[in-house]
Order: sequence, then C-alpha cells, then structure tokens
Amino acid sequence: MTSRQFLIRDLLVLLAFTGWALAVPGFASEFVVSMAMTCLMYVALSSSWSLFCGTTRYLSLATSAFFGIGAYTSALLLETMAWASVIALGALIAAAVAVLMGAAVLHLRGTYFAVLTFGMTELIRHAISYFEKSVTGTVGRVLVVVPEERTIYLTVLLIAVVAVGLSIVVRRTRFGLAMAGIGADEQRAQTLGVNTRLVKVAGFALTAAVAGAVGAAMSVRWTYIDPHTVFNPFIGFQTVLIALIGGAMTLWGPLIAAIVFSVLAETLRLQVPQLYMMSLGVLLILSVLYLPGGLASLRWQTFKDWGQASRQWWRELRDDLRGETARRKAQAKQQRERSNAF
Amino acid sequence: MPSDAHIQPLLDAREVTVRFGGLTAVDHVDAVFRPGELVGIIGPNGAGKTTFFNAISGVIRPTSGQLLVEGRDLSGQAPHRFAARGLARTFQTPRVFGDMPVRENIAFGLKFAGRRPRRYWLWGEEASVPWALRTPESILALIGLSGQADLPAAAITPSQQRLLEIGMALATRPRLLLLDEVAAGLTEAEVEAMAQLIRRLRDELDLTVVWIEHAVTTLLRHVERVIVLHQGRKIADDVPAAVVRNPEVIEAYLGDEMSEEAAA
Repeated sequence: MTSRQFLIRDLLVLLAFTGWALAVPGFASEFVVSMAMTCLMYVALSSSWSLFCGTTRYLSLATSAFFGIGAYTSALLLETMAWASVIALGALIAAAVAVLMGAAVLHLRGTYFAVLTFGMTELIRHAISYFEKSVTGTVGRVLVVVPEERTIYLTVLLIAVVAVGLSIVVRRTRFGLAMAGIGADEQRAQTLGVNTRLVKVAGFALTAAVAGAVGAAMSVRWTYIDPHTVFNPFIGFQTVLIALIGGAMTLWGPLIAAIVFSVLAETLRLQVPQLYMMSLGVLLILSVLYLPGGLASLRWQTFKDWGQASRQWWRELRDDLRGETARRKAQAKQQRERSNAF
Repeated sequence: MPSDAHIQPLLDAREVTVRFGGLTAVDHVDAVFRPGELVGIIGPNGAGKTTFFNAISGVIRPTSGQLLVEGRDLSGQAPHRFAARGLARTFQTPRVFGDMPVRENIAFGLKFAGRRPRRYWLWGEEASVPWALRTPESILALIGLSGQADLPAAAITPSQQRLLEIGMALATRPRLLLLDEVAAGLTEAEVEAMAQLIRRLRDELDLTVVWIEHAVTTLLRHVERVIVLHQGRKIADDVPAAVVRNPEVIEAYLGDEMSEEAAA
C-alpha cells in the first residue's frame, strides 16, 4: 500500500470507531456508557502520550499533572464560562505548563526525564493541596453546575477522535518526522537540521493539551474533586502502561489496549480489585518480554514464532534431561582436541 | 600559505579549545577552510581529531574560541544552526536511522537543513539546488546506493552505511562537508573508490571537503592541504609534500614508514 492508501485506511478505521462509539449511548445501559467513557478517556490520553513519548522515546509521567490542571480549570470556571471554552482553556493552560516544564527538563533523557516529570507532578499536586488548605481554606471543590451526561460523553468522544486523528496526521508531517528522528538518534537529527529543542517542547505541549482537555471534560463526572483524585499519579501510570502494552510506536496500539483495559478494569475491579492491578503488571511484563512492539504488532507470524520458540525450548529441555546435550558437548570437545593435535 | 587569503573563508575556527574536566582534548586550534578546498586532518589516536570535528560542527560546545561560518559567529549555538548554514558532517561509526528505509534516511536531510524555498511559495521546484542533490533518488545515484533504496538502513552492509552517512550529509545540501574516518575498515579497492567519490563531490558539487582519516597514505595522496593534530594542538598545516618532511610531524606521528616514503 502506498502512503496515501494508508492514510485513507487509517481515517476510515477512525471513522468506523467513531460511529460505533456514537451509537453506544443509544442502545447500551448506563453502566456500559460509563465504561465506554473511561475507555475513551484512556484512548485520548494514551494516544496523545504515544504521539510524543512513543516516537521520541521520552518517557513522561506527567500526564496526571496535565489531567489535574484541566480538571481544576473546569471546576473553577464552569460556573462562569461556556462548556466549550472551559475545555479549550483547560487544554491551553495544561499546554502552557508543559512548555515551562519541558523547557526545564527536556534536555534530560531516560530515567532522569521520567523521574523529574513525576517529581514535578507531585510538586504541582502538593502545591495545589497547600493552596487549597492555607489560602482558600477548602479541601476540594464541589461542582454544582454540570452539563448533561450526553454532552460529557460527546465531548470526551470528540477529544479522543481529535487525539487519534492527530496521531494519524502528525506522523506524516515534517513535525512528526522530526520527532521520529529524535527518537532514533537525537544528535544525528540535530546535525541534519532539526531544531530538537523546539520540536520537543511543541510535542510535549501537544500531549499536555489533550490531557488537559480530557481532564476538563472528565472532572464534571465526579461532582466533587480534590487534588488527590485528579492529580492521582495512577492516571499517568495507567496511560503509560496502556501505551506500552498496546505498542507506543504504533498508531492503533494505544486504542486497542485502552479497550482491553477498560473491559478488564470494569469486570475485575468490582469483584477482585487486587487481581486487576496484578493482571496489569503481568500484562506489562509479558508484553515487554515477548511482544516489545505491543499488542498492535501481533500478527499470525508472531503466534507461529512463539510456537516454534516453545518447541525449540522443549526440545532443548528434553535433550538436557536425557543427557543428550552433555554427550554432544563432550563429542565436540573431543573433536576439537583431535584437530588441535595437528 | 595560499595567496587567496582575501576570499572569505567558509569556516574560520579561531583558538578553539575543548576541555573535558582536567583533560584538554583540543588546545587553541586555528583552522581556516576556504571554498573549494579539499583538506585532510590527520593525527595519532587521541590527538583530538574527532573532538575538533564535534566542536566545529556544533555537536559539542567549545570551552573557548570562536567559530565563524561565512563571517557569522556561531560559537555556542545548537548543531541545527550549523547545518542550516551549510555545514554537514558524518559520524565515525555510521549513525543512520536503522528502522527507516535508505531512501527515507536521505529524504530526512532534504526536509530539514536541506529544505529550500520553492518557486511558488509552497509549490513548484525548489530553487537554486544543484541537479545532483535535487531528489533522494539523485543523491542515491550519486553515492551508488540506488539498488538499496527500499531496504531498511540497518540491513545494508557497514560500508554501504558509510556511503549512506555521506548521502545523509549531502541531503542537507551543504557547502562544507566534514567527513570523519569514512574510509576506516574498508578494503583497499573500496578506499580508492571512496577517495574518487570525495574528489567528485568536491569537483562537481563545488563543495569544500574536510576529511579526517587514520590511513595517512591514502589521505595524503588525495588532499591538497593537511592539518596535523597532536595531543590536541595543531603542529602542521601545509601541502602534503611539505607536511611529510616536517620533522615535528615525523616525530609525532608518521614514523619510519612515512619518512622513508618521503625520502624516496
């Protein structure tokens, strides 16, 4: 397929998903709708996360910071402003914070970057807790005026579609190519003319904007928010886990994994909450070890390779147990000694 | 020294010094590269050749000194500014984008430092680009990798990756090409072909080429001027014939083999 055909295919798949998600509130129960909403939230978060962090390989744990900033923006401004402008403002403020944060830490790589983004998230969370306690004298915020359930659902859907659409489009642009270059070899990209600093800050701000918008839209579901719920680091971790398990370098991986996760979460969390966290961990370990490309890289060939590898493993184990391996080694050694004699 | 001193140099490195902690890797090196020159840089292991290259291509920031590219001071700026001003470099160990096809590796440079304004704003041909550097295909033909265009860059041989490195550098449509040991590890015939290619680039594309090499004999045969580095300092800067007779150079680096050749 040519690049244009891929673009059309991707857009059609996105359209199909959108149509399906649009139809959900029409026939499904309230429980399923709320599950779909969580799913869409993680589709948006992890797609936009992999758009920047997957392609450039800068592992950011700051998603919950941007989410929380968006949530607080909407909690503070919902009474005075229109719904759409609240969402836009949430995205904007989160992006502005990301620009500041990015300018401070984006020259670091690897673990240092991950740890610092996490540290900054905690800093923001505690700063807001402190502010609430000592200046305004509250613990959290009660959201009085909330839009209809249907409006919230459509908004989150729209944000998710925009996030996936951005991933589709951006990877075809110069900006996307620059990010891919940074991921492959940052210094090489620089010597080929990429202004890496600018690209990284812009990409980081883009993910932050999506996370901020999601936060602004989702906060109204809770009717009461405090810093510990909306800046919950678990939101950031889960975003990263979903992206990694789905395949952070791929387009559809985060979406597939987000669906798998929300189904898993809703079915397991109610009955056996510990099992949910454990299965997350097991999935991550398995995907890192046996499926580094993520769920999206699964093909028929992958299963065949696994089958072959396990048969090979079984054969070696059998030979070991029967003493066949030891015999073969002794034979090879004997042969070596014989040839060394000459 | 050359009489064309009145021509503005492409790159004028003044008193470039690089220190790593207590170690002075490059010590007050002056170097001037003029349009159309083919200059070699030699020196024993650890003489600071690659560090000097890193400094003049902006990859590392010199501790002190000045870098003037066509009279403009770029010292301390990011590498992409150097690339935008027409400085291109290769790396000693090929650093190609392994996951991308060979063609995309070339196209990368064309889209960033090599990008030129188009005739009708966003549309039409790019103006003022030499014919051989117009498209990824023409660059691939120039370096002789047309047959590998669709392979991932990680799948081609190391000597082909060397060529691809040069192609990626050419894709930034440079005026000055810095080559870091492009012939290392190649067979005799491949080295000769590489030297021919480098001369061709200089002659046909009107480039200035600076070439670091460990294999001194090959280099001396092809370049017009040699800079010799030793323990971070510049100890000679002259035509090859004069450099091989320089006693300091012989003592520092070239040893018996070269002095015999020079005497012959």
